[in-house]
Amino acid sequence: MENFSPITALIGGAMIGLASAILWIFNGRIAGISGIFGQLLPPARTIIWRLVFLVSMIGATYITYLILPNLGGENGAKPELVDSSILWVAISGLLIGLGTKISNGCTSGHGVCGLARFSLRSLIAVIVFFITAIVTVSVSGITL
Amino acid sequence: MNESVKASYLIVAVISGALFGSGLYVSQMVDPLKVLKFLDFGAIPSGNWDPSLAFVIVAAILVMFIGVKITKKNNEPILDDEFHLPDSKKIDHSLIVGSVIFGLGWGMSGICPGPAISLIAFMPENLIIFLLAMFAGSFLGSYVLKLMTPIEISNNGEKFTL
Repeated sequence: MENFSPITALIGGAMIGLASAILWIFNGRIAGISGIFGQLLPPARTIIWRLVFLVSMIGATYITYLILPNLGGENGAKPELVDSSILWVAISGLLIGLGTKISNGCTSGHGVCGLARFSLRSLIAVIVFFITAIVTVSVSGITL
Repeated sequence: MNESVKASYLIVAVISGALFGSGLYVSQMVDPLKVLKFLDFGAIPSGNWDPSLAFVIVAAILVMFIGVKITKKNNEPILDDEFHLPDSKKIDHSLIVGSVIFGLGWGMSGICPGPAISLIAFMPENLIIFLLAMFAGSFLGSYVLKLMTPIEISNNGEKFTL
């Protein structure tokens, strides 16, 4: 467990939870990222806040990296795709977009917001996608 | 005026988005390898498994749970007329099939939608292909969903499902 980082995991997780709580308490919206970008396409009527949220999210990721460049590794190493071959990346992206649209949620929407609301639907989604992802990693051997 | 374009509403979106993006970086969930090391349960016997993601999600759920508790007494959010919850409450085929498809894609790359967007900050090689595919998948999904959703016909108050 050489890479285990419980403190930053808890702090970062609490920040994600706080972000979700603020969006819920003030705007009555679920901070599910697949839902936020999935409804950017027409005929969506509430595009502006979604774009504002996503742009702010990208900017904050970068600013936090500038402040704490060595969190992810030595010498400010930036995260990379693990297997960046075009076909693999394209299939993975397609499945993620398709699956989250059909099941109406992802790790944030079902995983954080849904479980915090005790949604049975979300609990089932989380169990199914975690098990599938764990099996996929073990079959593909991508971490080797 | 539409609630969702008011300045206060957008300021909340900025603050929430910023906390979310910063949290993804601090927790290192923006790093696909870190996520894959959690999903790699095969590494448990050798002691190389990284349980960090479980800590991230549990912390996030606990804080969000308090947020949900706070709003239990109110019938509406502070800046809008209603809470926007998904229409469907059913455990149906689309929930299970969609979750399996998402799990497959997530296990292939270690990237779920939040980190996918946050990674734009670093623009790693071929992320643009991933994002275009993800948007295409989401677009395609809305049509697949229509095909999968049973059509309900109401006849004299009795509901039939096709």
